[in-house]
Amino acid sequence: MLSSKNKWNIRWLGDHALVFSLPAMMDENIASSLQQLNYFFVSKQFIFIKDLIPAYHTLTIVYDIQLLHLFLAEKKCTLQSWAEHTLADFENNNSKINPNTTENIIKIPVCYDPVFGIDLENIKANNNISINEIVHKHSENIYTVYCLGFLPGFTYMGIVDEKIKHPRHLQPRAKVNAGSIGIAGSQTGIYPTTSPGGWQIIGRTPWQIFDKDPSKLAMLKAGDKVQFNPISIEEFYAINQHKI
Amino acid sequence: MSIQIHKQGISDSIQDRGRYGYQHIGIQVNGCIDYLSATLANTILQNKIDNPVFEIHFPASCFTFSSAEIICITGANFVPVVNDQSIPLYTPIQVKEGDILQFLQPLEGRTAYIAVQGKISSEQWLNSYSYSNQRIQKNEVFEIASMTSGQLENSTISFKQTLIHKVHAHLHSNTPIRIIPGPAWNNLEADSIQQLLHSQFEISSQANRMGFKLKGPTLIQQKTDEPLSSAVTRGTLQLLPSGEIIVLMADHQTIGGYANLGQIILVDLPRLAQLKKETPFTFNLVNVALAHQLYLEINEWFKY
Repeated sequence: MLSSKNKWNIRWLGDHALVFSLPAMMDENIASSLQQLNYFFVSKQFIFIKDLIPAYHTLTIVYDIQLLHLFLAEKKCTLQSWAEHTLADFENNNSKINPNTTENIIKIPVCYDPVFGIDLENIKANNNISINEIVHKHSENIYTVYCLGFLPGFTYMGIVDEKIKHPRHLQPRAKVNAGSIGIAGSQTGIYPTTSPGGWQIIGRTPWQIFDKDPSKLAMLKAGDKVQFNPISIEEFYAINQHKI
Repeated sequence: MSIQIHKQGISDSIQDRGRYGYQHIGIQVNGCIDYLSATLANTILQNKIDNPVFEIHFPASCFTFSSAEIICITGANFVPVVNDQSIPLYTPIQVKEGDILQFLQPLEGRTAYIAVQGKISSEQWLNSYSYSNQRIQKNEVFEIASMTSGQLENSTISFKQTLIHKVHAHLHSNTPIRIIPGPAWNNLEADSIQQLLHSQFEISSQANRMGFKLKGPTLIQQKTDEPLSSAVTRGTLQLLPSGEIIVLMADHQTIGGYANLGQIILVDLPRLAQLKKETPFTFNLVNVALAHQLYLEINEWFKY
């Protein structure tokens, strides 16, 4: 639910994008307000919007300059006044907005075996915590998917327990396997494909969370709730959807 | 009816206008880094303006034609030759079966485009022929779907000469590259703002389709906390902790966590994409209204 104390800010992002932002913090209420605004824009079907990109505290609209100007000429307004008016319209109607938040928690199987969790020892040593406790802390929380980026389908989730927060590697690894679960600061995320990466790797999911098939693409989207379900290495190989 | 890659260049690819509508799941836009030269090549050949084209860097690939085709080269002048005969840019060129197209030296610009009359057949994904990190390979064959008898109408030649002249003058003008300031602008030290606006920059050797790292003064921020990641665009000036700038180009990630100094306006990105290494340039501030006006004006050039 969008509370009235939310303070929206609108700013330019160059000449073909506009940013609607809330206070800069990782917070589920902020994420939920952004999801509602996102849903509002989607439902309005403005012809000039090419992309709507949610992040932690921002929703960015990428627009087509030509189509925007056709729209503005018809509505006899400026981009600034359209943005302000649309935001006011959203705030007045937010009680009626339902971005289909079923609050379903997506349970993702993760094998925390050190074969996959190649940085568990790192976190154990630096944070003075047992591996069992790392697994327990990581799989106990329910995480919000704040945004996708870095790679197609890469999820930025949070917030991890204080005891398992850990900075990323200073030198990124050349290769992190698809399905690897990592920690970076208070964020946790899943590598959708095998790629270079700097996050601290604590496990691997056997699920393929990104598929190039246009009918599938990303399994998760911003606003989703996720919990990790620890599985054994035998269970991992029984489910394994990764090709390598 | 095909073109074969006879020799592979360092970084050549098939590009179109890229794909929008998927950035929220982290899928990059991709597409030509100089949309003006690509559009011009298609316009000269009376193709659809967003047809896929070959984007070429130097040292460039070498192409063999297995059938007669009409091609047009725009953007950078890498001295194109067909069977060792020099051919002009911005001109429809008839090639025959067995002809070999090569590029000899990087004379002017950084990025060249080859359009083929008709359509280059290649795999599409999510409505675009452009992919991240996908280069054309030696021996790869591209079928060409012809659209007409291979004849060009002459009635539009004078219109095209004016258009070619305008696009060329715009791309190679040595006026400042125009930017709209971003959220980290006011976090720069006052001296650094002056340096950004008055010093000369160059594109370093670390430049590819993801981004161009610049050589220039080291810029200093007042506060160095890393901002929360948010969306970036093509043309975003990211300030690295080292004080250097990376300008994001067509294959950039959708979300970035570096300080965002500002965005180069859309019409000036093709100019940056044509700047050779060690060619100095400066930045200048503009507002969104002017950037839109320039974009709409340039779009008008292509309307006949």
